[in-house]
Amino acid sequence: MRSFLLLFFLFPVISAAEPATVIRATELKREPATDAAPVAQLPEGTAVDALERKSGWTRVKAPAGEGWVKMLALRYGGPGAAKQGDSGVTQLFNVARTGSSGTQVTTGVRGLDDKQLANAQPNPGELAKMKGFAADRTAAAGFASKGKLSAVKVDYPAQ
Amino acid sequence: MSRAMRIVPAVIATATLAAVLLMAAPAQAQFRLPNLDVNRLVDSVKNVSKAAKEIDEPEEIAIGRDVAARLLGAAPLASDARMQRYVNNVGRWLASQTERPDLPWQFGVLEAPELNAFAVPGGTIFITRGLLEKMSSEAELAGVLAHEIVHVLRKHHLKAIQKGALASLGGEAAALALKNTRSDARDKLVSFGTEMYARGLDKGDELEADRLGVVVAARAGYDAYGLPTVLQSLQAMNAQDSGLALMFKTHPAPAERLDALHAMQATLDRYSSQPQLTGRFATEVRAAR
Repeated sequence: MRSFLLLFFLFPVISAAEPATVIRATELKREPATDAAPVAQLPEGTAVDALERKSGWTRVKAPAGEGWVKMLALRYGGPGAAKQGDSGVTQLFNVARTGSSGTQVTTGVRGLDDKQLANAQPNPGELAKMKGFAADRTAAAGFASKGKLSAVKVDYPAQ
Repeated sequence: MSRAMRIVPAVIATATLAAVLLMAAPAQAQFRLPNLDVNRLVDSVKNVSKAAKEIDEPEEIAIGRDVAARLLGAAPLASDARMQRYVNNVGRWLASQTERPDLPWQFGVLEAPELNAFAVPGGTIFITRGLLEKMSSEAELAGVLAHEIVHVLRKHHLKAIQKGALASLGGEAAALALKNTRSDARDKLVSFGTEMYARGLDKGDELEADRLGVVVAARAGYDAYGLPTVLQSLQAMNAQDSGLALMFKTHPAPAERLDALHAMQATLDRYSSQPQLTGRFATEVRAAR
């Protein structure tokens, strides 16, 4: 039972094979790198199973074999296959919000949809609280260096 | 209040008067209005479009504060203080790499299961807990926050609010609403500004925020693929998912945004080996669940 539960939780992390389509002709590579050896050339429209992602690369199982393709060359969903199902988050919350009687119950959690935006009243207390969480530039720079992030100069693209 | 902002209502009032007088030209002739300085009026009409473009920074911040308070009325902050501080550190570090590093930047995680993020004029950024929990690295969070930061840098919402105010309230009331924080017109302006998050921006603004957001995240030292990774996660979800309804209504489809980001492939690849910080993200966000 315990190992079954463990598997259940690990499954999404390992990531299930996800049907995807190659949207432009692309090279299937042995490793997730531009200079890696090619496995095969995948034509536009190839149906693959996406297995895992690594930065700009996705490992896929293609008819021609397994390897890595550029992430931007892939779109999820088989050709024309709409995905069924719902993450269920909002239904869950809606049930909590309305209860079986259909009247509003207090859960402290509300969804965020256009009706709520239209009817929103100012909440200055939350605004003040938010200000209290703000970081100044120096603190943020310290946080960045702890994560070994270094600023680099990158130009905006020409418009 | 800057001199420019004090001048706006006067200029708009004069221009409105000028417009009324121009439309009522025959009446003007009939009643022979004395001492009408046509040259001055023409100048004022020229100034009105110029003045309407110049909401100064303190005004932008004040409008943003009012809109942010409304958004927090729609959904409160998530209660986890550690997660809130973490998101503020990531966001402020990103904002420090931009042309507006010293705005009063603040970042808030909204307690909402939907997947969305909002940029408010003057440097306030919101992300929903639903979207945050869909992510798996700090680079992904950085990608989304950088997209929102660009909306603020380029004043996308501010310009839309201003345009909407001019169209719906008229020049004079719009000027009053932008200047006077305690007026009925101001309430209308702020309501309009809040509802704008249910209507969305121009598609061009969203795609610009994607392109430049990639650059801001790369400047801050993150794997530049953070934003495309989130877009791909969204694209892999069922488009009918109720948690995506508002985001899909107000943004181009993820597949279209990914197509447009193909133009940034060189930048994305050049900065793809920078840190993703999955471990820190897991500790700071997932531990908060």
